[in-house]
Amino acid sequence: MKPNMPLVTLLTGAALGVGVLVASVLSPSSTASASGYGATSSGSATTGVKPASAASAVGGASAAAPATTSATASATAPGTVPTATASVPKADVPPKADYVARTDSGGAAVAISVHAGKAVAYMCNGHAVAAWLRGTAKAGKLELTGKNGARLDVSYRTGKATGSIMADGTKYTFSAPLVHRGSSGHRPPGLYEATATVHGVKIKAGWVVLPGGSQVGSVEYFADADVAPTAQAPVLDLTTGTAQYDGVTLVASLISGFTGSGF
Amino acid sequence: MTAQPDALPPAPVDVSLGIGKLIVPSLIGGLVALTLGVYGRLHHPTGVVVSIAGFTSAGYVKSWLATVATVFAIVQVASALVMYGKIPRVTAPSWIGRLHQWSGRIAFLLAVPVAVNCLYGLGFQTYSTRVLLHSLFGCAFFGAFTVKMLILPKRGLPGWTLPVAGAVVFTALIGIWFTSAFWFFSTFGLHR
Repeated sequence: MKPNMPLVTLLTGAALGVGVLVASVLSPSSTASASGYGATSSGSATTGVKPASAASAVGGASAAAPATTSATASATAPGTVPTATASVPKADVPPKADYVARTDSGGAAVAISVHAGKAVAYMCNGHAVAAWLRGTAKAGKLELTGKNGARLDVSYRTGKATGSIMADGTKYTFSAPLVHRGSSGHRPPGLYEATATVHGVKIKAGWVVLPGGSQVGSVEYFADADVAPTAQAPVLDLTTGTAQYDGVTLVASLISGFTGSGF
Repeated sequence: MTAQPDALPPAPVDVSLGIGKLIVPSLIGGLVALTLGVYGRLHHPTGVVVSIAGFTSAGYVKSWLATVATVFAIVQVASALVMYGKIPRVTAPSWIGRLHQWSGRIAFLLAVPVAVNCLYGLGFQTYSTRVLLHSLFGCAFFGAFTVKMLILPKRGLPGWTLPVAGAVVFTALIGIWFTSAFWFFSTFGLHR
């Protein structure tokens, strides 16, 4: 009996698709052996160090109406601040502060910087979830928003900031101690950012460097898009403050509420 | 219109039963399209996929593969026109059927890795009209192709089903190409 050739074609295509998918899943996500969108192996790209002033990098931050959010939005109501103190003594609220911590679960990290009434925060899980948020700081409370429904609700004091961040439909809680500006070496813990245009594609990388030197970083492609594809960032070399992205050197700048850099 | 595709022997019968044979393939095709779209939406895009030697970026790999697939799709339409006697003064040669089958298979198999790359690396996106249309056309293409493959061996179908199925497949692929490779080459050039 003659084989059903159209069906053979269809099944061959399906098998090929599964094979490519498996190869994609298994391929190392480091930029050394995989080429991402717009990445080139020799430097015909331009890199730029842009201090993350509140106006520049992320388009449409606090007023962002997300086009569509991920279909798997786990329906937890955003932003209930765990520690709800009735009144906060003014002396306990620092005007300039940085906080970093890993989240309680989910393998993510968050960094928050407060400077003169404004705040910037970043979270990422070192993979496909990352969010930049900004807003104003009022009397020890932060309610920051970012693209695609990202939201941060935190109360912060001299010693630490506690709260939650909602990104990509998932809520992460954390308690982040204040980063002390000691003479801890070249690059202090905190929030680092690098933007570059690699072969016409704008990328934006963010790293949360924790006390002790570990780091969690993600990079967004087509960084101005409402939903920017996000992946693991290349390792940030803490001695040089740079990272290698497909042959292109990213120069990271620190965002610090304490020093005011990036504000 | 009744839908009892298995109730009668597969002989040329009236149109109503012929159309009934389209229902299951259409449902399966719709399911394929829907599954791809849902996967693309739920899966977190990585932005980074398997690299292919000789190309400087995934954008170029996909755009060139998609363009070659589209060229084969044009061969598809041309050979179909000949097969159906639509080209004046051209009689269908004996190999035209094989050309049609093989050009179709090549186009489809080239499209598959591009589509997996797209779904896995970028996902189903809606942040611009172009990407929304591309996402929709992409899902539609594979659904329509599935339908066409499933109805090809069936007997007793109305004469318009294959041309319509083929036209939908072709139109979807052209839509895919314009919202991706054409845009990519226009934006970044034909090569680095």
